[in-house]
Amino acid sequence: MSQDLEPQPWGAQDRFQAHFIVKTSQITNAEFLAKTKLKTEGHFAPKKVVGVQWVGGTIAETLNSDAELTSMIVKLPYKDAKIWIEPTRNGIRIHGSWKSSYEFRIDKELFAVYDKIASHVKSTLGFPPV
Amino acid sequence: MHDSEPDTFTQISKREEFCGLLEKIGVQAEVKQIDSDEIEKGDYYSKQFTHSPAMVTNHGCVKLKNSNIDIVHIIQKG
Repeated sequence: MSQDLEPQPWGAQDRFQAHFIVKTSQITNAEFLAKTKLKTEGHFAPKKVVGVQWVGGTIAETLNSDAELTSMIVKLPYKDAKIWIEPTRNGIRIHGSWKSSYEFRIDKELFAVYDKIASHVKSTLGFPPV
Repeated sequence: MHDSEPDTFTQISKREEFCGLLEKIGVQAEVKQIDSDEIEKGDYYSKQFTHSPAMVTNHGCVKLKNSNIDIVHIIQKG
Protein backbone atom coordinates (compact mmCIF):
# COMPACT_ATOMS: atom_id res chain seq x y z
CA MET A 1 0.00 0.00 0.00
CA SER A 2 1.42 3.41 -0.94
CA GLN A 3 1.40 6.41 1.38
CA ASP A 4 -1.09 9.19 0.68
CA LEU A 5 1.09 12.06 -0.60
CA GLU A 6 -1.68 14.62 -0.27
CA PRO A 7 -3.43 13.97 3.04
CA GLN A 8 -6.70 15.89 3.44
CA PRO A 9 -6.25 18.85 5.83
CA TRP A 10 -9.81 18.75 7.23
CA GLY A 11 -11.62 16.57 9.72
CA ALA A 12 -11.87 16.52 13.52
CA GLN A 13 -8.51 17.00 15.21
CA ASP A 14 -7.25 15.64 18.51
CA ARG A 15 -7.98 18.99 20.19
CA PHE A 16 -10.68 19.38 22.83
CA GLN A 17 -12.13 22.21 24.87
CA ALA A 18 -14.59 22.29 27.76
CA HIS A 19 -16.67 25.47 27.90
CA PHE A 20 -17.91 26.30 31.41
CA ILE A 21 -21.13 28.20 30.80
CA VAL A 22 -23.22 30.59 32.85
CA LYS A 23 -26.60 30.59 31.12
CA THR A 24 -28.41 33.85 30.52
CA SER A 25 -31.22 35.03 28.28
CA GLN A 26 -30.03 38.63 28.60
CA ILE A 27 -28.40 40.17 25.55
CA THR A 28 -24.74 40.41 26.47
CA ASN A 29 -22.03 42.21 24.59
CA ALA A 30 -18.35 43.09 24.76
CA GLU A 31 -18.58 43.94 28.49
CA PHE A 32 -18.28 40.16 29.12
CA LEU A 33 -15.36 39.68 26.76
CA ALA A 34 -12.05 39.06 28.54
CA LYS A 35 -8.82 37.06 28.46
CA THR A 36 -5.82 36.60 30.71
CA LYS A 37 -2.52 38.28 29.91
CA LEU A 38 0.18 36.33 31.70
CA LYS A 39 3.50 37.42 33.14
CA THR A 40 5.84 34.43 33.11
CA GLU A 41 9.29 33.31 34.20
CA GLY A 42 11.46 30.66 32.55
CA HIS A 43 11.13 28.83 29.26
CA PHE A 44 9.81 25.51 27.96
CA ALA A 45 8.86 22.94 30.65
CA PRO A 46 9.75 25.02 33.76
CA LYS A 47 7.88 28.09 32.43
CA LYS A 48 5.64 29.37 35.22
CA VAL A 49 3.11 32.09 35.75
CA VAL A 50 4.14 34.92 38.09
CA GLY A 51 1.45 37.47 37.34
CA VAL A 52 -1.99 37.73 35.76
CA GLN A 53 -3.83 40.61 34.22
CA TRP A 54 -7.31 40.43 32.70
CA VAL A 55 -7.84 42.43 29.53
CA GLY A 56 -11.18 43.13 27.87
CA GLY A 57 -14.53 44.59 28.84
CA THR A 58 -15.85 45.72 32.23
CA ILE A 59 -15.75 42.14 33.59
CA ALA A 60 -11.93 42.33 33.28
CA GLU A 61 -11.85 45.17 35.83
CA THR A 62 -13.93 43.10 38.28
CA LEU A 63 -11.64 40.09 37.84
CA ASN A 64 -8.49 42.21 38.22
CA SER A 65 -9.76 43.49 41.57
CA ASP A 66 -10.08 39.95 42.97
CA ALA A 67 -6.69 39.20 44.57
CA GLU A 68 -7.75 35.69 45.62
CA LEU A 69 -8.56 34.76 42.00
CA THR A 70 -5.17 36.10 40.88
CA SER A 71 -3.35 33.99 43.48
CA MET A 72 -5.35 30.92 42.37
CA ILE A 73 -4.44 31.44 38.68
CA VAL A 74 -0.74 31.99 39.47
CA LYS A 75 -0.61 28.48 40.99
CA LEU A 76 -1.94 26.87 37.78
CA PRO A 77 0.31 25.42 35.07
CA TYR A 78 1.05 27.91 32.25
CA LYS A 79 -1.29 26.23 29.74
CA ASP A 80 -4.23 26.16 32.20
CA ALA A 81 -3.73 29.81 33.18
CA LYS A 82 -4.68 30.97 29.68
CA ILE A 83 -8.41 31.63 30.09
CA TRP A 84 -10.96 33.32 27.84
CA ILE A 85 -14.45 34.64 28.62
CA GLU A 86 -16.78 34.98 25.65
CA PRO A 87 -20.42 36.09 25.53
CA THR A 88 -22.63 34.07 23.16
CA ARG A 89 -26.38 34.08 22.48
CA ASN A 90 -27.38 31.64 25.24
CA GLY A 91 -24.71 32.22 27.84
CA ILE A 92 -21.28 33.43 28.91
CA ARG A 93 -18.59 30.86 28.07
CA ILE A 94 -15.42 30.49 30.15
CA HIS A 95 -12.78 28.26 28.56
CA GLY A 96 -9.09 27.44 28.36
CA SER A 97 -6.86 26.55 25.42
CA TRP A 98 -7.20 23.47 23.18
CA LYS A 99 -5.92 20.22 24.66
CA SER A 100 -5.20 16.78 23.23
CA SER A 101 -7.34 13.87 24.43
CA TYR A 102 -4.45 12.85 26.70
CA GLU A 103 -4.21 16.32 28.34
CA PHE A 104 -8.00 16.89 28.40
CA ARG A 105 -8.53 16.70 32.18
CA ILE A 106 -9.91 18.82 35.00
CA ASP A 107 -8.59 19.06 38.54
CA LYS A 108 -9.87 20.69 41.72
CA GLU A 109 -7.68 23.81 41.41
CA LEU A 110 -8.65 24.51 37.79
CA PHE A 111 -12.35 23.95 38.49
CA ALA A 112 -12.17 26.32 41.50
CA VAL A 113 -10.78 29.05 39.20
CA TYR A 114 -13.58 28.58 36.63
CA ASP A 115 -16.19 28.53 39.42
CA LYS A 116 -14.82 31.77 40.90
CA ILE A 117 -14.89 33.48 37.48
CA ALA A 118 -18.47 32.21 37.00
CA SER A 119 -19.46 33.71 40.37
CA HIS A 120 -18.22 37.14 39.19
CA VAL A 121 -20.09 36.71 35.88
CA LYS A 122 -23.28 35.81 37.80
CA SER A 123 -22.94 38.82 40.11
CA THR A 124 -22.41 41.13 37.13
CA LEU A 125 -25.51 39.67 35.46
CA GLY A 126 -27.46 40.37 38.65
CA PHE A 127 -27.88 36.75 39.78
CA PRO A 128 -26.84 35.68 43.30
CA PRO A 129 -23.67 33.51 43.20
CA VAL A 130 -23.94 29.94 44.62
CA MET B 1 0.09 -6.11 24.18
CA HIS B 2 1.57 -5.35 27.57
CA ASP B 3 0.54 -7.68 30.43
CA SER B 4 -0.82 -4.78 32.50
CA GLU B 5 -3.26 -3.72 29.78
CA PRO B 6 -6.80 -5.02 30.23
CA ASP B 7 -8.30 -7.28 27.53
CA THR B 8 -11.53 -5.33 27.41
CA PHE B 9 -12.54 -1.68 27.65
CA THR B 10 -15.77 0.25 27.99
CA GLN B 11 -16.40 2.73 25.20
CA ILE B 12 -17.64 5.99 26.69
CA SER B 13 -18.32 9.38 25.16
CA LYS B 14 -16.18 12.45 25.89
CA ARG B 15 -18.94 14.03 27.98
CA GLU B 16 -19.33 10.85 30.07
CA GLU B 17 -15.56 10.79 30.58
CA PHE B 18 -15.54 14.47 31.62
CA CYS B 19 -18.55 13.94 33.92
CA GLY B 20 -16.60 11.15 35.64
CA LEU B 21 -13.62 13.49 36.13
CA LEU B 22 -15.87 16.16 37.66
CA GLU B 23 -17.46 13.65 40.04
CA LYS B 24 -14.00 12.48 41.05
CA ILE B 25 -13.14 16.01 42.27
CA GLY B 26 -16.42 16.28 44.19
CA VAL B 27 -18.58 18.20 41.69
CA GLN B 28 -22.13 16.96 41.27
CA ALA B 29 -22.60 16.45 37.54
CA GLU B 30 -25.05 14.77 35.20
CA VAL B 31 -24.56 13.80 31.54
CA LYS B 32 -27.13 15.26 29.15
CA GLN B 33 -28.44 13.69 25.95
CA ILE B 34 -26.59 15.08 22.94
CA ASP B 35 -28.35 17.95 21.13
CA SER B 36 -30.84 18.36 23.99
CA ASP B 37 -29.71 21.76 25.26
CA GLU B 38 -30.23 25.22 23.76
CA ILE B 39 -26.56 25.99 24.29
CA GLU B 40 -25.60 23.43 21.58
CA LYS B 41 -27.72 25.19 18.96
CA GLY B 42 -26.30 28.72 18.99
CA ASP B 43 -22.79 30.03 18.30
CA TYR B 44 -20.03 28.39 20.33
CA TYR B 45 -17.73 31.45 20.12
CA SER B 46 -18.23 35.21 20.21
CA LYS B 47 -15.94 35.39 17.11
CA GLN B 48 -14.27 38.43 18.70
CA PHE B 49 -10.99 36.62 19.36
CA THR B 50 -8.78 35.83 16.40
CA HIS B 51 -8.25 32.19 17.44
CA SER B 52 -11.95 31.20 17.07
CA PRO B 53 -12.08 28.01 14.96
CA ALA B 54 -14.13 27.89 11.77
CA MET B 55 -15.34 24.32 12.34
CA VAL B 56 -16.03 22.42 15.54
CA THR B 57 -17.67 19.13 16.55
CA ASN B 58 -20.25 19.13 19.33
CA HIS B 59 -19.70 16.41 21.95
CA GLY B 60 -22.67 17.36 24.14
CA CYS B 61 -23.07 18.79 27.62
CA VAL B 62 -22.69 17.98 31.29
CA LYS B 63 -25.09 19.69 33.71
CA LEU B 64 -23.64 20.81 37.05
CA LYS B 65 -25.41 21.11 40.40
CA ASN B 66 -24.55 23.42 43.33
CA SER B 67 -22.10 25.41 41.22
CA ASN B 68 -21.93 28.88 39.68
CA ILE B 69 -21.40 27.10 36.35
CA ASP B 70 -24.71 25.93 34.88
CA ILE B 71 -23.42 23.61 32.19
CA VAL B 72 -20.17 22.32 30.63
CA HIS B 73 -20.07 22.02 26.82
CA ILE B 74 -17.50 19.65 25.27
CA ILE B 75 -16.16 20.71 21.86
CA GLN B 76 -13.65 19.20 19.43
CA LYS B 77 -11.73 21.22 16.86
CA GLY B 78 -12.53 20.47 13.23
